[in-house]
Order: sequence, then C-alpha cells, then structure tokens
Amino acid sequence: MMKKARKNRSAFSGKQVISGNHAVSYGVMLARAQVISAYPITPQTQIVEMLSELCASGQLKAKFIKVESEHSAMAACIGASITGARTFTATSSQGLALMHELIHWAANARLPIVLADVNRAMGPGWSIWTDQNDSLSQRDTGWLQFYCESNQEVIDTIIQAFKIAETVYLPVMVVLDAFFLSHTSEPVEIPPVKLVDKYLPSFKPDIKMDIKSSHAFGGLTTPEYNFELKYKMQMAMEESIKVAKKVDRDFKKLFGRGYGVIEPYRCQDAEIILVTSATITSTSREVIDDLRRRNQKIGLLKIRMFRPFPAREVVAVLKNTGKVAVIDRNISYGAGGIFCQEIKSAFGNQTNRPVIFNFITGLGGRDVTPQTIMEIVNYTKKNKYPKEPIIWIGLKK
Amino acid sequence: MTKILNLRTARDLPRWAISLGTTLYNKTGTWRNFRPVYENKIPPCNHACPANEKIQGYLDLIIQSAAGRTSASLQKKYTQAWFLLTEDNPFPAVCGRVCFHPCETACNRGFYDESLAIHNIERFIGDYGLSKKLKLKTKKLKKRKKIAIIGGGPAGLSAAYFLAQNGYRPTIFEADKQLGGLLASGIPAYRLPKNILQQEINAIIRLGVEVKTNVRIGRDKLLENILNNHDAVFIATGAHQERTLNITGEDAIGVIPALKFLSDLNTGRKIKLGQKVAVIGGGNAAMDAARSILRLGKEPIVIYRRTKNEMPAILDEINDAEEEKIKFIFLAAPVKIITMNNKIVALECVKMKLGKPDASGRRTPLPVKDSNFKIKVDNVIPAIGEQPDFSFLTAGIKTTDRGIQTDEFGITNIPGIFAAGDCVTGPRTVVEAIGAGKKAADALIKYLQKGKAVPEAEQDEKVVQFEQLNQNYFEPTPRLWPEKLNIQKRNKGFKEVYQPYSGKEVETESKRCFSCGVCNRCDNCFVFCPDMAVLKKNSYYEYNYDYCKGCGICVLECPRYAISLIEEKR
Amino acid sequence: MKFKIPDKEYLYSGHLACPGCGAALAMRYALKALGKKTMIIMPACCWSIIDGPFPYSSTKVPLFHTAFETGGSVASGVRAALDILGKKNIHVMAWAGDGGTFDIGLQALSGAAERNEDFIYTCYDNEAYMNTGIQRSSATPWGAWTTTTPASKDQPKKDIMAIMTAHKIPYAATASVAYPDDLIAKYKKAAKIKGTRFIHIFAPCPPGWKSLPEESIKLARLAVTTRIFPLYEVVNSVKYTLNHPVADKNGLFKTVPIKEYIRQQGRFNNLNEKKLKIMQINVEQSWKMLLNKVNQ
Repeated sequence: MMKKARKNRSAFSGKQVISGNHAVSYGVMLARAQVISAYPITPQTQIVEMLSELCASGQLKAKFIKVESEHSAMAACIGASITGARTFTATSSQGLALMHELIHWAANARLPIVLADVNRAMGPGWSIWTDQNDSLSQRDTGWLQFYCESNQEVIDTIIQAFKIAETVYLPVMVVLDAFFLSHTSEPVEIPPVKLVDKYLPSFKPDIKMDIKSSHAFGGLTTPEYNFELKYKMQMAMEESIKVAKKVDRDFKKLFGRGYGVIEPYRCQDAEIILVTSATITSTSREVIDDLRRRNQKIGLLKIRMFRPFPAREVVAVLKNTGKVAVIDRNISYGAGGIFCQEIKSAFGNQTNRPVIFNFITGLGGRDVTPQTIMEIVNYTKKNKYPKEPIIWIGLKK
Repeated sequence: MTKILNLRTARDLPRWAISLGTTLYNKTGTWRNFRPVYENKIPPCNHACPANEKIQGYLDLIIQSAAGRTSASLQKKYTQAWFLLTEDNPFPAVCGRVCFHPCETACNRGFYDESLAIHNIERFIGDYGLSKKLKLKTKKLKKRKKIAIIGGGPAGLSAAYFLAQNGYRPTIFEADKQLGGLLASGIPAYRLPKNILQQEINAIIRLGVEVKTNVRIGRDKLLENILNNHDAVFIATGAHQERTLNITGEDAIGVIPALKFLSDLNTGRKIKLGQKVAVIGGGNAAMDAARSILRLGKEPIVIYRRTKNEMPAILDEINDAEEEKIKFIFLAAPVKIITMNNKIVALECVKMKLGKPDASGRRTPLPVKDSNFKIKVDNVIPAIGEQPDFSFLTAGIKTTDRGIQTDEFGITNIPGIFAAGDCVTGPRTVVEAIGAGKKAADALIKYLQKGKAVPEAEQDEKVVQFEQLNQNYFEPTPRLWPEKLNIQKRNKGFKEVYQPYSGKEVETESKRCFSCGVCNRCDNCFVFCPDMAVLKKNSYYEYNYDYCKGCGICVLECPRYAISLIEEKR
Repeated sequence: MKFKIPDKEYLYSGHLACPGCGAALAMRYALKALGKKTMIIMPACCWSIIDGPFPYSSTKVPLFHTAFETGGSVASGVRAALDILGKKNIHVMAWAGDGGTFDIGLQALSGAAERNEDFIYTCYDNEAYMNTGIQRSSATPWGAWTTTTPASKDQPKKDIMAIMTAHKIPYAATASVAYPDDLIAKYKKAAKIKGTRFIHIFAPCPPGWKSLPEESIKLARLAVTTRIFPLYEVVNSVKYTLNHPVADKNGLFKTVPIKEYIRQQGRFNNLNEKKLKIMQINVEQSWKMLLNKVNQ
C-alpha cells in the first residue's frame, strides 16, 4: 500500500500547473496530515474536494471528517490535535467567522493546527471575491498568519506551517487570495515526497490525551494562574519569529526556495517604499520594475508573516526611507488599514521614521491593477503628507 | 496526591491549563452542616420481645448462613444463631412452640406484606441446639453467695440460668415433683412435647443449679428459714390457685378445675371423663383443656361469656381449636350445675350481652334476663383464671391485688427479696415470665455486688417505626407457613400439630427480614454517595469525613434507618 | 434488593459538585462501567466546574474541556485521531449537560450522529442551564420555574430520544441515577457497540429544582415510577425495550401519581391543580406512545 501511494505521489512531483486551492491540497498531502475536517465554502471547495479524493484513493492516509459546519470543523480539529494527530482544515470568510470562538480555543489550547484561509470578503451582501478582512479579524487570537503571493508560496508555506506550528505549539493560518490564487493555475514545483518527509518528521507531541497518564485539559483557570498562561503564549509568539525564519532557511537549503518573514524588493536607496501583501505584491513588483527602469527610487516591502508582526524587521527596512505607502486590501472600520496600523505602531516612539500613507483599495474583490498601484505611487510622490488618514484608491466617488 | 500544588511562577506552569494533581487536596468535609453517622437502632421485634431476644441478630446469622454454601459454614451460622438467642432466653425450643410471639405483631414487615414467622424460626434454632446438644454458656463458679429460687417454673428457671451465667449457683425449691411449672403441668404435649421441655430444663440445671423438688415453702419450710439461710431470695411461685365459678353444684364430682385436669393429663394419671365435657372460659387453659379432651376421644364444648374477639387465648390456639371443629358457645355463662345421683347431668347457662368496657378494656358481659338454657354435659372444667397464692408470704412482703408488689425490675419492698412472673403480674405468658426472671436476676446480682439493687438507667429507646424504613428496596414476598398435622392425625393422640421448617424454609423466611435499624450490609450508602465518602471495609462501612458533604442521601436511602444525621459541631 | 455495582472508583473525592448532585453520581457510575481506557470530552456544563479547577482534576481518566456546543464535533475529531494513530479499544465519551445537548450543542450532535461517529454521547439532564444559574433549556419540563421562566415554562420538554433515534444510530437509552445497576449495564452494552451511542441520564439538581439534597435519589426514582422519565433502550433505532415492568402485578414497580414527584420540588410550586391534571394526562399519553413503540 505504502509503495503504491508513494508512486502516485511522485507522479505529482516536478513542475505542475495547478490552482492555489490544489496547491494547498498537495501541500497538506505532502505534509501527511492525519485528520482533516472541513466544511465547503466558495472559494475553498476545491481544497477539500481534492483532499477527499486523495483520502478516498488512499494516497493520503488520513481521516476526513465531513462535518456539518465550520465551527464543528475546527472543533474536530481541536479534538484530533489534542489526541496526537496532525490536523488541517480550510475555510473562508463566513466560515472562518463562524469558527471564531474556536480559533481562540485552538490557540489557547496550544494546538499546532494548520488552517488555510482563502481570503474572501465578509457579507452581507454576499461576496465570493477577495479582501483580507476575514483573516485579519482573527489577528488577536494567537494564531500565526502568513500571506502568500503565489501558488508556489502556498504549497511551500503549508509545509513550513506544520513545522513551525509543531515547534512553538501555536496554530498557523496560511492565507491566499480568493480567485487570484485559489482558482488561478500557476506553474508550481511540487516538493519531492522524500525531501518533505526528511524536512517534516511525523507529529510527536509531548502533551496529548493519553489513557496512560490522565490529565484534565483546559479546566477552570482562576486569575491566579491565567495571567502567566497568557504571558507564556505571547512568549511563544515572540519566539516564533525566530522559528519561522529558521524553518524558512532550512526549507531553502533543502528545496531551493525561501521567502523570509518579509521580503524587501529593490528598497536599497528607495525614497518611497510600497508595503503590500498577497497578490497585490506580484502586481506591485511589475510596477516597481517599471518605475526603476525610469530611474524612480521606489521600492517594495512584502509582508509575508503578519502574525506575529515582524516589527523589528519592518522598521529596519522602512526607517531610512522618506515615505511609506501601505496598501491595505482590508479595513478596520473606525480606524484604518490594518497593515498600516501595525506598521505605524511598529515605529512606536521612534523619531527616525518615514511619513506613512494609508491606502485602501480592492475591498470586496475590486481589481488591483498596475494602474491602481501607479495611482498610489503618484499620490505619494505628489503629497508631502497624506491629506487624509485613509486614502481610498479606485473608489467611485 | 492530596497535596496542594505550589505553582508560583510562569516557569512552574505547564504550557497551558493541564491538570497536574487531583482534587483530593480539597477537603469538602468542611462544607457540612450535618454529618451522617452509622447508628444502629432498636428493631421492633427485639423491643417487643419480653425477653429482649436479639431477633434481628439471629435472623441475620441465618441469612449469612445462606451465603456460605458449605454444610460446615451453614452449621457454624446456625450455632452462632443459637448462642445469640440463648444470650437472652434459654428456652428457644419451648418458646418456639408456645410463645404468643409479640415480636411478630410488632414486626414492621407486617405493615408491608406479612410479618416474619419469627416464632417458627425460633423453634428451628431451638431444635437445632437440642439436636446438636449445644451447651449453654456459663461462667465458672466464682461467687460463693447463696441464692434461693422459690418456684421452678419458667421465671425461676430463667433466673437460675442468668445467675449461673454470671458465676452463681442458686438453689431451686420446687413444690411439685418435677420442674417446669405450667410448662410441664399445664401445656399439653401436642403443643409442647415433654422431652423437648425436659432437655431445655436439663441444660440449665447442668450449669450447676441445685434442685430440691417436692419442697413446698410454707408447708415443708418456712419462708423465714429460707431468708435467713440465703444471701438473696427470688420468688417465682406463679399463679396456680384456680378461680371458682361460685355456682350451685360446683362441688360435684366431675367438676375438674382446668389446671388439675391438665396436670393429671401431663403426668399420666388416669382421668375419668364422660362423653360431653363443658369447658368454661376463653383463655389458654380453656383451649388446652378443650383440645386435649378432643384428643381423649371426648366431646368438648367451650362456653365463654364474651365473644371470640375478647377471648384472651393466643389467636393461634383459638384458630386451631376452630380448625379441629371444637364447639363454641359464645355470650353464655354457667349459673348452675345440675346433678342426679351425685353425677353431673346438665349445665344451666344464661345468655350474656356485652355492656360497657371494664377495667381490662373489654366490654362487660351482662346476663340477659330470662334467657337461661340447659345443655347436657357429663363433666365441667372451669378454666376461668388463676391467681397467685400468698399464704406462704411473710416477712412483710407487700402485695397488690394482682400479686407480689415489685417495681419493673423485680425488686420487692424488702432488700434481698426479688419476685417475678405470674406471682407478680397474675397469669401471663411464658416469655414474659422468662424476661421478668432475667430482669430480676440482674437486679439480684447488682444487689449482691453493690449491696443494693440499682435499677438500670432508662435508655432512650429508638425503636424503628415502619414509616422510617425506605420501602423501595423491598420486594413483596409471601410468608412461609409451617405445615400442620391434618385433623385426623391430630385426633389420634397428642402428636405435635405444627411441623418444623426445613433448612431451606428457614433461610427463605429469614431473608424476608427488613433488619430494621441495624445495618445488614446492603451497600446502598456506598452505592449512592456522590462523593465516594463511604468506604467499604470488611463487614462494615466507614465514612470518610474529610470529604463527606453531608448531603444526606445515604440516610434517606438506607432501607432500614440505620444511619442518623446529626448536627456538625464546629 | 441489593445493587451490585463494581467496587473500583475512577473518580476522586474532593470534586466541586453540590451536596446531593445527581450529575456527580452519573459520572461515577459511567466510569465504573467503562473503566480506565476512556477519554472524556466535556463541553461547558456543571461538570466543567465539578471536575475541579486547574491544576487539579477529579477523574482518573483524561478529560478534555471544550466549548459549549462542541461535544459531538470534538468527540468526532478525537475518534478520528485514535483511528488514524491505530489506538484501539479506547472509549471516547462525550459528556454534556442538557444545554450542550438539547440546545446549543444539538447541531454538532446531530452532525456526528448522522455520520454515525464512533463514541458514546452522554447527556446528563438536570433540566436547565444549571451552571450559569438555573436558566431554562429546552429540556426544562413544562410548568417548571427557572430564572428565565419565572412564572412557568410553557413549552413541553424536547424529546431528545426521538431526535436521536431519528438519526438511525445503533443504540440509545435512558437511565436514572436511582437505578445504578441498570445504568451501568447500559454503558457496558453500549461499550460493545460501534457507532454513535446516546445515553440520556436523569440527574436531579437540588439547588436548581429547589429540592432537598438528601432527596436526589428519591426524585430520580420517582421520575421513573411516575413514568415521567421511563427507562428504556432503543437498538438500531427500531427495537424499543422497556427496562421496568409495565404494571404492578405484586412486582417491584408501582406506578405513582406525578403529584408525589412534583410536590418535592420548589420549582413546581406554581403548578395548580388544573395544570397538574394536564401534566398527568400528558405523562399518560407519552407513556402510551412509548408502549406502542415497545409492542411493535
């Protein structure tokens, strides 16, 4: 049985043209997840459909629990994870919001669950297109968050996610844009099975439910102890930046690809640096290249790891530039773009800081084109300071 | 395990809220306002028995015998039962045949379905003891006090037994030529076989009791003499003086007082009886006489001045007499015995009606004017009651209209003189005599040890009422009745009417016992404790008061009210 | 009549249950039946507190606290993990109150039952949200006082057994803490079956019902003998078996008018004679319907 599976798995190795959703599926298969529990929601459905197939055919030796809601999906993952299985789920938008109570639970229970979120706008009105509010609404829960720019990055980050999660014992969310990644096929180098097995050994948790040693998990915790437990969670979060970097370095050594927690692109002498995440990054790269060809000193900072927020790393890149244009495909109503807030607060009390412009665009799946980026660049060039706290780009006023 | 964990810093804590210890650190016993205690209470059968037999105790031993399947373990428990019983009553084989079993009347099971057949079980145990020739417990002679017991009936023999148990060797002075009192002379053999009685009497005498029969105090010796020569005296002379009818013709030949009739019968003397014999009275003597007459092949007619409901005889006796088709004439009293040529030919009676209740609580019989009638009879046997004989009493011993005056412990007005039984109460039952003999013996012993008889302190008796039991753990089970000899067989002699239980029957019947007030290890308290605060030990239970929250479930679910809830003192 | 229950305890004293708590007894008996190789999944309920505060626990088996509505779903995950890890012969038991079963947890339970997930689901029913201070649940009986139905609850109690058997699960049973041998036998029977097994335990609550702590077993017994909470089991959702005799033929079981049960509880103080009559009629009707199912 094992030989056959591997044979089929190796049929997937090498370069394949696959959608972002399938990249997730194959990543999960390579990572040898043991229990998968998910509920379908557009635009995530292909992830679970493919995983169902892989489980049914025996290529992926996992239990697939076809739960009746996302809340139950996360609940089942929690149950499976504490029992010692490597667990995975995927969802989007309304489904992720439904899971919210248990998103907290999974993190507080220090369970290394991996979740793939296909960024989709929250309703009502019903939307199946991308923006980042769904995942960013979970930013305070204690989950790590990685925003992927390409399907290659998706499959690689899924594998890395399990490794990071099982080191720091915090759950990890891997985020990809709806349709732009989820349903768009791109060429992807499938990591070879043998290497993945070498990179990511089987899950052997030190704490699990076991009849040999009985414990109660998660009982009534009074103020006498709770503060310290939460402190420990923050400490684990802070530790995970280091861990994420190392995991990425090790990945690069083995597979030849690395991403870092942030990626500065042509920022050396930049006077303006755009800050982006997810697919806006790839659009922006083209614009930056074009601007650089025209001798514009404009760079790009991609933020890949949003939680924990790599404040030091971000500040190190941005502190010497004059202006920073943060492009948020999200909004915290009543405040502003969320990435922008994080960056502003990363600078905190520092005096040596750029002027930060908060651009919001692409909400509800509005297309972000090179023109959109140019508009952002021009505005930033023209204005010494942002004229408004939020600059809406592409809005039909 | 029970320690309180010391987790002071973040480093001491596990990664997240995972337990490291158990709740045993938390002594929830501090929550209590009331605490349960195992407190055995008095079963009503024990309480009702005039001898205070530990009835529940020996029933429990029989039940336990059922648990051990080997013959040896069975025997062991039967033997233990016999010893437990004879701690309070040396006459189980006798009482198991003749007692009026107030224990059964008091038995709480009677309020549920049918009371336990304790009477029959007692007989089984008594017979078992005789068959195994078990020896009554006694102490070595250590007290060289001289004690005289006047009267060798059940009260006297009982006192002798309890004195012997305590290391004394009393002397019994018996007027008759055999011991036993009315047990020997009054009760017929079909109720109490004489060899059974003799064996149980002998068992007592064998403990070292000196017996002087054919010695009548007042005639052969004076009471003063006895008093001077002994350290203490116990009077148990019974009530043998038969009441007279006070009617014309009572002195005719053929009028035989009941006790004389029965005594002659029991000693084998020939009795001349005609065919029709009238028995006057409604007590046990009347029943004994009537049923004996039947067995002699004659025709008894019982004449009683009240109705069946007022008859003082034991109900079993009345029912058996009816079963044997003995003729009863109720609400009639004799007025004249008619003789011809010195022989009785007829009895003239008058009809009675019931008026207001008298001192005994029964309605007074009043003659109905002009209702006289005659019946043909050959003999008349009056059985209308007895009273004690005081003729020998001197030395200033006070008496009442019933008998010798004593308190409830048998202490008379003269220090050193004790009395119990029918000579104190008037005619009563065997078991009451036995119980009274025991109490008087205790008082007598205290007198000898302490110089004066100190009555026992009154104990607050917690007798278990039926309402205090939890019936939900009982199953209705019919009572086992012993076999009885059929009527034809009965009339052919004086064979015992009631047949014994088999071992299986004794077990089955004993198992019906509710064990009122006494724990019999049903496990309910252990089963229903939500806090695991009832610990099962080998044959008992113990509360773990560190954790008992005092909820009281065990108290309520104990089927037999053997647990009490008392206030927690803090 | 002597109850024979296993002697070994799988629960420590010192737990935080109120004096006379029926739920504590329910757990004690269930664990006696299932033994050491058991994992408990426990959504929010009274037992979440009874088990003891961190870092202590009162069970001798692992116990995983979960969110209120997740009994069925977390248990599904646990079983999936045990299966994929090749760990056999371990009982997975979801242990929830009536809130976490009848109301907020119904979806997860229904989903799991429909998938016939392999665990034993216990609902210990004290007929209200007791842990949060006696608010009504859909398991609260008609006419009862709770803090959210201060006059009286005007809806009948949800028939959870009917709901569960509608899922075609292999085993469902009711049990009462006053009949521990029956309860334990049912767990032992359920332990041998694969698939979703549902056991509904009647667990009196003195503070919530305004009854005396010492009367909890009495109430648990009266609920059965009044036929308000009959003891029965359903195999494969079609075969109904009654676990006590129908009529009293000099047997152990005596049918009792519901008044005996009602008047012991302060939560029914608002029931006047008229309402009591209606309740008795309803009990008779439900009983008849149950008998019909038994006799098929």
